[in-house]
Amino acid sequence: MRAPRGSDLWVLLAVWAGLVALFGAFGPGFLSAATFGSVANRIPALLLTATGMTLVMVTGGIDLSVGSVLGLCGAVVGVTMVDAGGGLAAALAASIAVGTALGAANGLVSVKLRLPSFIVTLGMLEIARGLAFLTTHSQTKYIGAAVEGLGTPLAGLVVSPAFLIALAGVAAGQGVLSLTVWGRHLVAVGANAEAAAIAGIDVDRPRIWAHALLGALTGVAAVCNCSRLGSADPNAGVGFELSVIAAVVVGGTSLAGGRGSVAKSFLGVLIVATLEAGLVQLGASEPVKRVVTGGVIVAAVLADTWRRRA
Amino acid sequence: MRRLVLVAALAALLGGCQPSPPKPAPGSAARPKVALVMKSLANDFFATMAKGAREHQAAHAADYELLVLGIKNETDLAEQVNLVEQAVAQGAAAIVIAPADSKALVPALRRAQQQGVVIVNIDNRLDADAARAAGLSAAFVGPDNRDGARRVGLALAARLHPGDEVAIIEGVTTAFNGQQRRAGFEDAMQSAGMKVVAVQSGEWEMDKANGVAANLLTAHPGLKALLCANDNMAIGAAAAVAAAGKTGAVQVAGFDAIAAIRPLLADGRVAATADQHADQLAVFGIEQALATLRDGHPAGDRATAVDVVTR
Repeated sequence: MRAPRGSDLWVLLAVWAGLVALFGAFGPGFLSAATFGSVANRIPALLLTATGMTLVMVTGGIDLSVGSVLGLCGAVVGVTMVDAGGGLAAALAASIAVGTALGAANGLVSVKLRLPSFIVTLGMLEIARGLAFLTTHSQTKYIGAAVEGLGTPLAGLVVSPAFLIALAGVAAGQGVLSLTVWGRHLVAVGANAEAAAIAGIDVDRPRIWAHALLGALTGVAAVCNCSRLGSADPNAGVGFELSVIAAVVVGGTSLAGGRGSVAKSFLGVLIVATLEAGLVQLGASEPVKRVVTGGVIVAAVLADTWRRRA
Repeated sequence: MRRLVLVAALAALLGGCQPSPPKPAPGSAARPKVALVMKSLANDFFATMAKGAREHQAAHAADYELLVLGIKNETDLAEQVNLVEQAVAQGAAAIVIAPADSKALVPALRRAQQQGVVIVNIDNRLDADAARAAGLSAAFVGPDNRDGARRVGLALAARLHPGDEVAIIEGVTTAFNGQQRRAGFEDAMQSAGMKVVAVQSGEWEMDKANGVAANLLTAHPGLKALLCANDNMAIGAAAAVAAAGKTGAVQVAGFDAIAAIRPLLADGRVAATADQHADQLAVFGIEQALATLRDGHPAGDRATAVDVVTR
């Protein structure tokens, strides 16, 4: 195992800068505050979940249920604010509680019963989506101004409070991973669980907590999404888990565990979101967008791997 | 021990698969069984459709038995084919189906028809060439999506000036109804003299459409309207318009008239949408099927209403 170094960031930064330069050269309105704002305000949910997913993947686990849990937490926000007449604070609390509970369930079942988290969270993907449809009766809930504050760009700034919250989440996640004992335990458990156990580390608890933390962050992410759209859509987040995992993997986190960086996952999210914005602005068709996005994901991982070997 | 349990479980399972009692010949029962085969029941639109059908059956309980079947997600063709076969096995006299694909369902439906089951096609029209080639004849009951979208587009155009720039956010590009709505929007914009500067897919999703709309507004600062192929995407687009500080300056249109769009219609953030009367769609299909069973000859196609809603 090698400690993550700040210099590893430059490859991803270069990929991102390259994309920005490329789109700037071909898209007349691309290099503008409006583009920056639309990218920044679109990614809070992805940033928060990618932060949690990085911690889970560092321990060697994975969570395929984030998209469905995002949908369910959004449904909870909708029901809390529309049907129960609650405020934003109550909705946030309920969303975090549900997200944490499902995340903890993922962690407990996979770790304590020694089942692969891939399988357990695949089951949760179905359960949470079904619950999202049940709680909303399959109907989109329109919430309106009461929830929109977090997603509305701040006066004088192009970014929303939700983006600032997500940035704080990324910073805290990186801090926990690289500066705290618990963070080092996550890496140790993921790199070699047996060695970690011999060294006297409780190998179960960090993994369970990582799953629970991801659930909690997904709860916050759901509120960010609802506030941007002013509504709760029970279909929200279908396929979202793949975007999250793609961003984390582009950021160099190993699927086998033992290595990962939240800051680099942040750059992974930025690369994927910038690509999406640029391709729409250039007028690329849906199939072309998919082909290019897939290609860039593989290229970014390759660039990072080569840099690591060099 | 564990193996024993497994063997016992298998035996129980196999026991469950023993030949079922001979099924009655289709249509011979006192009350004919009508199977309603839908797309995803998790979708508001189809949930409403199923509800309308159940209410109709409750009011006409003496006339027929209803079997409502739905697939998990809208693209799961294999599961829908399976549902058709199950409906036949359960002795359905008629199948009323909203096909998930215009072509892929044709062979399964033809097999059902050959066994004497009456087929009525609702919502999404089966491909005419594929049906003819297979020898399948099914009455179609459903809305004209293209004409509906054209009229929504014209209602929106009334708020614009000829030559204004507009963009279309379409659904999943392979869906026939999505293609029809896009074509209808294009018809309206052409006849009203608007300039369509971009067509992008929002894949029927609120969040996807929100991202697409935000970038379209940046790339085309002169944009005056966003035409969305369903209401979820219209809600996402309206949020992007608000985030760009352009509420009122950029008009938004949708399709489907779901409940969540009403507040946006009320304050003008969404200018127009279309109501396809989902609750009646399945009912008309069932009535068509019952008429065919009663009269013994196939009933014709039936167009259902699409109303433009602007407030």
